[in-house]
Amino acid sequence: MDFASLRRPIAGVALIVALAACSGGTGGGTPSGNTIKIGIDLPVSGADASIGVTTQNGAVMAIEQAEKKGLPGGLHLQADALDDAVQGVHSPQQGASNTRTFISDDNVLGMIGPFNSNVAKAEIPLTNEAGLVQVSPSNTNDGLTIGPDAASLRRSNPTVNSYFRVCTIDSRQGAAGAQFARKLKFSRAYILDDNETYGLGLANVFEADFKKLGGTVLGHDHITKNQQDFKALLTKIAATHPDVIFFGGTTSNGGGLIRKQMFDAGMNNVAYMGGDGISDPEFLTVAGTTADGSYYTVAAPNAQKLPSAQQFVKDYQARWNSPVGPYSASAYAAAQAIIAAIDKAIRQNGNKMPTRAQVLKNVAATSGLQTPIGTVGFDKYGDSTNPILSLWTIRGGKADFVNQLNLKT
Amino acid sequence: MHDFLQQLVNGLSLGAIYALIALGYTMVYGIIELINFAHGDVYTLGTFFSLSILTLLGVSNQLHGAALFVDVAVAVVGAMVLCGLTGVIIERLAYRRLRNAPRLAPLITAIGVSFILENIMQWWRGPSPVSFPQVIPNPGWAIGGIEIQAKQLMVIVFAIVMMVALQVFIYNTKLGKAMRATAQDRDAAQLMGININATIALTFLIGSALAGAAGFVSGVYYQSTWFFNGFNAGLKAFTAAVLGGIGNLAGAMLGGFCIGIVEALTNLKIFPSGNQWSNVVVFSVLVLVLIFRPSGLLGESLPEKV
Repeated sequence: MDFASLRRPIAGVALIVALAACSGGTGGGTPSGNTIKIGIDLPVSGADASIGVTTQNGAVMAIEQAEKKGLPGGLHLQADALDDAVQGVHSPQQGASNTRTFISDDNVLGMIGPFNSNVAKAEIPLTNEAGLVQVSPSNTNDGLTIGPDAASLRRSNPTVNSYFRVCTIDSRQGAAGAQFARKLKFSRAYILDDNETYGLGLANVFEADFKKLGGTVLGHDHITKNQQDFKALLTKIAATHPDVIFFGGTTSNGGGLIRKQMFDAGMNNVAYMGGDGISDPEFLTVAGTTADGSYYTVAAPNAQKLPSAQQFVKDYQARWNSPVGPYSASAYAAAQAIIAAIDKAIRQNGNKMPTRAQVLKNVAATSGLQTPIGTVGFDKYGDSTNPILSLWTIRGGKADFVNQLNLKT
Repeated sequence: MHDFLQQLVNGLSLGAIYALIALGYTMVYGIIELINFAHGDVYTLGTFFSLSILTLLGVSNQLHGAALFVDVAVAVVGAMVLCGLTGVIIERLAYRRLRNAPRLAPLITAIGVSFILENIMQWWRGPSPVSFPQVIPNPGWAIGGIEIQAKQLMVIVFAIVMMVALQVFIYNTKLGKAMRATAQDRDAAQLMGININATIALTFLIGSALAGAAGFVSGVYYQSTWFFNGFNAGLKAFTAAVLGGIGNLAGAMLGGFCIGIVEALTNLKIFPSGNQWSNVVVFSVLVLVLIFRPSGLLGESLPEKV
């Protein structure tokens, strides 16, 4: 075939995509009118929707409740929710484009999201430059807040941190996963990950901690994007006779298919474990009857068990007529942190519209905020000072709470 | 050695699905020199069609006895007919008017058709993965320690039967002769009284029907699909067709098996964390083959292409 004739149109398409990615302006003027908006950026379509929608519901409910209660100065509060999934999967490009939309709207004073760590990587440089505060309910990758990776994300404004999260980090999630795995008497683990910011980071921490706790790591493999057939990979793993396969990654990247194909490779009695990336109902759809016997950690406490969450669970069910998702309470807490900061900023500003910088300053100073996931505060990196993690398992096709850990250091 | 043989079996069953899709690519390319990028999406459509038919038949679980054969036959034939018709409609609406246009125009159109099909499927079945019932019983056998499952065997046998049937059709029937004539010289064929439009439509019908069959087979094999599935499978199948020599049926088959096997073999123990390199290895093999045999593995060995 004639490859030369193909080259030109492909270059053209690439150029159009690049131009589209560069468009979108930076705002930063003064807000007008009397409505304050809070942007929400989460994946709410496709394979990520089952976990994204319940998360979004939590955030929207917090904003609705605050609006009902009323802000000082007669100001109004409104949620501006966008979807960062493209073709059914969370997309850093779409997340960045949504963030630009928020930034260019002067009335947006804070932003909740994103859900996925690789999307956060694309968004943090933008909010950092614009000074727009961003609170994520669920990003767990360490490098978003700590170390040289975080420093490079804050290149344009190195002294300003605009990114906060109410959940704990992967070094704690991986550590909790390894501790739970050892408690479940697993001693031989094979590790897989989806080669994304979140999945690879989580898998590496799990590997190190599992070894530290006396477990044997039989191997560590990375899957590829859009991979559907894991038979060959699982055949290789089966030959090493693991007690458990640990998967760092999301259901949309193959977390459910791997569990299903473990049975084809004769690993019916091998346990499967992952992080919060497989905590979505989608995992149950894809893995079907084979989901039983899987374990996963969630970087949040079990909202049903926390006394501080009882009212939230009741309100949520009344408002959305559906059960609470793994990150609904966290999103509610993230929204609370921003709303409290806005409230305070309005008062500081003499009951007038505050600026983004004021809201950012107040969010950074958050401490002892009462939320459904316990008291929320942020340390100097922007990380939560309240690291509670929970372990769940699938029994009879349903998620079942096993245990929770507080990894306060 | 045991690992090698086991991965060979895994690779054969993976390659068989690529091969089934590659047959459609290669047929269409052979007759009108168009790379039909929408073909991978027709394959996904095949999975959805057969799923709908199985749902209509009330099948949600493993079948046995007569019901197994009847329901599977209805689902396969139904998916083949519906996909075949889809292929004919695509050719009539999108490609026929562009038959004498510069080659880039139909190529871009094919990419457009692919987007349209993906979005129709997203609208129809939603953007999330959809699960497919395990309709056939799936016992496994161990031959000298090498395990093979019924569904792996089914995929391989199905692909080989389809290719042989296609080969017989093209080389031993009048319609097949018309297709070969159209491929060789469209104008001369028309002068000989061959209905070009009907012949090209027939090619799309058969190619897309094969994609429909492959769709059913992959549904049974993986028990899940989603609207975007055809993109990746289509890319690999297209690579298979090019590797074997595009326009050549046996080549498409060989290319499909080669790619499946290469992909599986990257998981041998001697390649630590080889799985993440599988795509790199597959496309490197393609590049190497094209450097030394620019027309593919079998491309030059046959004088006629279809």
